[in-house]
Order: sequence, then structure tokens, then C-alpha cells
Amino acid sequence: MDHEDFYPLMMDALDGELADAPRDDLEAHLRACPPCQREWQALLAMDMLFRQTPALAPAAGFAQRTLARLPNRRYRVWMIGVMYGALLLGGTLPMLIGIWIYSKAGTAVTEPTLWRTVWQAINQTAHVVGTVLNALLSGAGEYVAQQPAIVGWLLVMIGAVSLWSGMFRQLVAQPTLVQPSGMNG
Amino acid sequence: MLNEEQVWLEQARQGNKTAFGKLIEAYQRPVYNLAYRMLNNSGEAEEAAQEAFIRAYTRLHTYNPNHKFSTWMLSITSNYCIDLIRKRRALLLSIDEPLPPHPALMSDGQKGPEAQMVMSQQQDMVQSLLQELAPDYRQAVVLRYWYELSYEEIAEMMDTTVSAIKSRLFRARRQLAEIGMANGLTAPMPAMEQAAA
Repeated sequence: MDHEDFYPLMMDALDGELADAPRDDLEAHLRACPPCQREWQALLAMDMLFRQTPALAPAAGFAQRTLARLPNRRYRVWMIGVMYGALLLGGTLPMLIGIWIYSKAGTAVTEPTLWRTVWQAINQTAHVVGTVLNALLSGAGEYVAQQPAIVGWLLVMIGAVSLWSGMFRQLVAQPTLVQPSGMNG
Repeated sequence: MLNEEQVWLEQARQGNKTAFGKLIEAYQRPVYNLAYRMLNNSGEAEEAAQEAFIRAYTRLHTYNPNHKFSTWMLSITSNYCIDLIRKRRALLLSIDEPLPPHPALMSDGQKGPEAQMVMSQQQDMVQSLLQELAPDYRQAVVLRYWYELSYEEIAEMMDTTVSAIKSRLFRARRQLAEIGMANGLTAPMPAMEQAAA
């Protein structure tokens, strides 16, 4: 047998599933082969370390915190119903209104001048919005150029707050050590 | 316990949060431990464990009573953790870096300072070794060592074959042993006698 052939036997031995005959073969090989003996020692050390390391439990109050986050099933079903109802109304109402408008003023709606007027109104509105946004952005740009220290300080403050919130989350969720136990642990 | 658990499950299915709270109390340790071993971060582990319970609650109608609830819970948790690790990789960094050592590991009043220090070092070493493994290898190792699940159970949970799990554990153990020895993990003597124990 080659060295590699003994590795599966080592795994079975770690799992406590090695029969007597292959166990004798493995023992004999380990006595005669220092590299495999070292490999086996390392595996055994790792195995013992993992078996002896206790499980960790969450910080106290975990169950209460989790329960507080559980969704309300009835409320969820009700909300889904409301959402579908809103979608239905959102699709149906405009259609009904459109049909009503067409029936009342069918000929006016098909007039090309009406659509030209509507298009002009949209264009003008977009132009006004663009002008306002442009003014706001250029104003903000000038402010940054004039007051870089204030803007820098603001960025530092935002960074500090987000860093602290991350640390706070870590601090309130520290685990506790428990002895190894079964699934119900 | 099992009968009690079945009652809680039935009540929880009908939307009884108190009954589900009993299930959380019963399984919070294994679920949290799995999340912590996988993620190596107490904040993320708490978040993941809570999310696993929330998912279980909203999907209780899909739970098959022929399987153990614990296995189902661990399956949800480990899959969620794998997703988180993939997302973390996609982001290339985690905002919440591990904060070694955990104060909770240092504050066991029943143990002396030396025992606490040894325990803390042991936990640190285990966590650092686990982080060397690929997520699917880590998942197999954690499920095998802390939950003593059979290869068949692990294969079912990870949606793969028994031979694939054996192969992952084989490679993971060799990798862990190699890194452990390089980091000063000492081997016990004599070898075979301790293996038999």
C-alpha cells in the first residue's frame, strides 16, 4: 500500500469507524513511516482541538430580540391583499377614466393641436426643473469651493457616526461560552 | 421534549409567536454557534441567526415533519451564512471586522483566569483555522464537529452526495492539520491509543 492509501484509514480512525484489521495495518504503517506518523499526529491534534472546543451561545435576550423581529402573519396576509387591491385599482381606474374621457370628448382628443399643446407644456416644465436643479448644483459646488473645511468636517462626522454604529452593534451582540451539548444545547 | 416540540411547531404554524419563542429558546445555541463558526463575527452571527429563525417562521408550512426540526433549522442557517459569505466576497470587504478576543469568552466566572485564557486561545485558534477553509469545507467541518451529524445528514443539508462530503472533510482535515501544526498546534501522544478513545 502507498502512503496515500492510509489517509482514508486515518479519516475512518478519526471518526471512530475503523475496523480491527485495517487498524492493525495503519498502526504498523505508522510505526514504520515517520512522515505518515507526523501527518497522523497533526490530524489527531486538530481533531482533539475541534472536539474540545465548546459551542458559543448568543448574548442574553436573543430570543426576545428575534421574536420582536418576527413578522405578523395576519398583518402580512392583509398587506398582500391591500397591495394586490391597489395594483388592480391602479390599473383599472386610469383605464376607466380614459374610456370616460374618450366617450365625452372623443373628437377633441384626436385633435393634433391638443397634443402639440400638451407636448409644449411638458417641455416647459422640464425646462423649469432643469434650471432649478442646475442652480442648486452650481450653488452647492460654489459652497464646497468656498468652505472646504466645513464640508470636510461634515464628512468626518458622518464617518465617525457610521463607524461608531458598527462598533455599537458589535458590543450589544457579544456571545457567551457554553459547554458542548446536543442539538437542543 | 419531542412531543413538546411538535406541539410548539403546530402552534407556531398557526401564527402563535409564543410557541415559536419556545423553539427559539431551544435552538438558539446551535443556530448561533453555526452562524458564528461560519462568519467569525459576533454581530453578523447574531443577525444571521435571527434571520434564520425569521425565515423558518415564515416558511414553517414547508417544513417536513419526517425530518428533524434541528436539521432543518441548521440547513436554513448554513445556507444563509454561505449566501452572506458570497455577498461579502462580492463586496470584497466586510464593514464589521472581527473583534478579537470576545469579552464574553473572557468572563466565565466559574473558571480561573488561566483556564479562561486557555479557552480563549483555543477559541481563537479554532476560528483562525476555520477561516482558512473554503466556505463549503468550513460548513462540513462545523456540522461534523459541533453537531455530530452523519455524512448522510450533512450531504442532505448541503444538497450534495456522501462521497463529496467525505472528500471535503478529508481535504479540510488535512488542510487544518497542516496549518495547525505550522501555527504551533501540538500533537498528543501516543497517537493510536488516543484515537481509540
